[in-house]
Amino acid sequence: MASLRNLAASLNPATSTDDVNRAESREIDASTKWPAIFLLGSAVVWLLIGTVFALISSFKMHSPEFLGDYEWLTFGRMRAAHLNAVVYGWSVNASFAVAFWLMARLSRSVLRHSGLLIVAAAFWNIGVTLGIGGILAGDSTSIEWLEMPLYATPLLFLAYALVGAWAVITFRFGKSQHIYVSQWYILAALFWFPWLYSVAEIMILLTPARGTVQALVNWWFAHNLIGLWFTSIGLGAIYYFLPKVLGKPIHSYYLAALGFWSLAIFYNWTGVSHLIGGPVPVWVQSAGIVASFMMIIPVFVTAINHHMTMLGNFDALKNSPTLRFIVFGAVAYTLTSLQGSLMAVRSWSEVTHFTHYTVAHAHWGMYAFFTMTMFGSIYYIMPRILLQEWPSAKLISLHFWATAFGVTLYVADLSIGGIIQGLLLNTPVLAHKFGLQEGTDPVPFLDTVKAALPYLKWRSYAGILITVGHVAFAINFVWMIVRSVEVTKTKLTLFCTPTDTEVAAR
Amino acid sequence: MNRAPLIFLSIFFALALSWTGIVLVNQISYGSLQPVYDENDGKAYPLQTPGLAARGKLVYQDLGCISCHSQQVRRLGYGSDIARGWGERQSVAHDYIREDRVLLGTMRTGPDLRNIGARQADHTWHYLHLYDPQITSAGSNMPPHRFLFETRKVIGQPSPKAIQDKLPEKYRPKAGYEIVPTERGESLVEYLLSLKDTYAYPETKNVYVEPAPEAGKEGEKK
Amino acid sequence: MDWFFYAVALPMAVLFLSSTVYAFCWSSQRGQLRAFEKGAESIFDDEEPIGKPTDFFPGKMPVAKTPVSKS
Ligand code: HEC
Repeated sequence: MASLRNLAASLNPATSTDDVNRAESREIDASTKWPAIFLLGSAVVWLLIGTVFALISSFKMHSPEFLGDYEWLTFGRMRAAHLNAVVYGWSVNASFAVAFWLMARLSRSVLRHSGLLIVAAAFWNIGVTLGIGGILAGDSTSIEWLEMPLYATPLLFLAYALVGAWAVITFRFGKSQHIYVSQWYILAALFWFPWLYSVAEIMILLTPARGTVQALVNWWFAHNLIGLWFTSIGLGAIYYFLPKVLGKPIHSYYLAALGFWSLAIFYNWTGVSHLIGGPVPVWVQSAGIVASFMMIIPVFVTAINHHMTMLGNFDALKNSPTLRFIVFGAVAYTLTSLQGSLMAVRSWSEVTHFTHYTVAHAHWGMYAFFTMTMFGSIYYIMPRILLQEWPSAKLISLHFWATAFGVTLYVADLSIGGIIQGLLLNTPVLAHKFGLQEGTDPVPFLDTVKAALPYLKWRSYAGILITVGHVAFAINFVWMIVRSVEVTKTKLTLFCTPTDTEVAAR
Repeated sequence: MNRAPLIFLSIFFALALSWTGIVLVNQISYGSLQPVYDENDGKAYPLQTPGLAARGKLVYQDLGCISCHSQQVRRLGYGSDIARGWGERQSVAHDYIREDRVLLGTMRTGPDLRNIGARQADHTWHYLHLYDPQITSAGSNMPPHRFLFETRKVIGQPSPKAIQDKLPEKYRPKAGYEIVPTERGESLVEYLLSLKDTYAYPETKNVYVEPAPEAGKEGEKK
Repeated sequence: MDWFFYAVALPMAVLFLSSTVYAFCWSSQRGQLRAFEKGAESIFDDEEPIGKPTDFFPGKMPVAKTPVSKS
């Protein structure tokens, strides 16, 4: 009982007896060490697993006989497994870690009871493993972005509830006078996610809504998962690391606020644009289209803000790995969002909807923007929690150039392929005008498959390049951790003596 | 901490708005659409999916066919869906109300399958196509689904579902053996054949601009 | 069902707009928007002050500024 009360007290700043001193950032970083390493470690493992799934699916797209005799490796399952591994495995684990670390630092509060956070992270990863195992074994729900079977969900919820509560507690303990814009993004994301996820689980899987209402819920959820969770965490990270690395405050805090609120208001309506022309009420589609246009406001505001902050500091790109990845991510965010607005235009959607173009767009957002931003963040966070530098500068460079080139090739290639596929599929008159085909009748379906084939092959090459980058990253990551263990064992480090919190955290 | 409550409130409102608009309003306005009872043939449309086909749908789900196939026909003049013969009319909300899981799909690496049962009603074609798509559609990138078939010894009468005679040389089993779809394979094909939206609901004539030239054969009334 | 949408959407829009305006007035009266731009500096502290870049490739960090060394 007493210990329960103690626990309760230690979680409530009002009853806490702790000194209300500003925690030093080094102490704070130290308090996040083990959860961050656990989350990032799992993220890297999922990244590699997801990459393997990705390669297999990509090869299968142009060589369907590849591993064709294994049911659990069939394309439909591989693709779902890939998506869930990189989204719920890699991206969510990474964003948990980054969100925590940022939250602790920005609230100027040490992370309390970090052991429980590790338990939450473990639950999350068990849930994801169960879910992906379920997909491979044939329990996929076939609802996009929610393919994991229902039996994985309770674990994910539990894990999420713990993580969310911890972030809010950390925030409430904050000694900072100010709530920085990154914190808005993170708090909002933490709050929005469970809402989105539970509505989707309930209305699609538990007590299915009737007919195409499900489709609306599905895209309300899936698009918002990207826009309200991943985009929020990504932008939150950019708003912190960009000024921090440069040592220069963000250009305009007003613009940052404007960007945040316009995103919060407009983004969550855009999901319906995945259903343009589909069997859902026309007015919702129109609302989605309008919202997609309005997204131009937050995107431009944010882009201008980032660009003005960078102005005069482009030299720094040479020196800082974090900055390289972050700037790449920020530019990709602008481009992919503008592309998203364009894709909501009815006549453009007519061509590109249902084609590989959509896949390119998804990778532009989730990879070129979000994942690159996470890489940048990790390059910043790891040295600060392990108190040592990355082992190899060469591997960092290799990682950057392979992934930057890879994803650019990927996106360019699939976008072009998707447009050609879309023209042939949907608008024979236009396709004829561009000289893609004879006559103005729809081409036979198989011709659209064959036209896309070379682009699918090039996608695989791009995928291999990206894989090289990931392997370089993983080597560097593991090497760093192994070395840090050795260093502490032999007491060679003279970086610092463990702080009190670090001792307490053990 | 000063602005925290304000920020929280606004964050809440921002999502509440789209949740209301996209989810709630639609759930209320058409989330309880009822089947249409046709007095001519005494059936309520859309028809219930028969048992075997319903099991086939689960196979469709677990194999992820949705990652290459959509199940929605867009209106005449928007895309070439109808010109390609993927349906006689566009899909409407009514078509899906009996389905526990709505699989509209977002990819058309393969053709739309909403009306595949109407345009390709031959079991054997589907078996051959699933066994190896190259047999029926050379150059396709649809994966083979040979794991939905089994090779077994012929005992007594050969099965009417056996397909080995129509397979190319390289797949032929030893004499005395036959290749038949497993239960999963059979139900999947049954599901595909059940996919046809040919009933003309009132709204396919009124609300949506142009119904296809000769919409609906089964219950052309109203 | 379009009427339904408007019946819900218009009041919602009015409510939302007016509460936004109200919130703005409320917060500016309380002086919460004063010195707004100062917020941008809140991420810097004595250990990592403004004007000091904080990230470098391994081995490229200017020695004197190493954040972890106490010198
Ligand atoms: C990698 C993408 C892919 C996957 C996965 C896939 N298909 Fe296909 N499918 C295609 C392509 C491409 C075609 C067109 C060429 C052909 O007929 O094979 C096609 C054609 C079809 C056709 C014939 C359509 C017509 O109009 O003639 C049917 C039926 C079909 N697929 C069913 C399925 C089922 C059932 C599954 C899941 C078990 C599935 N497909 C999985 C790509 C795919």
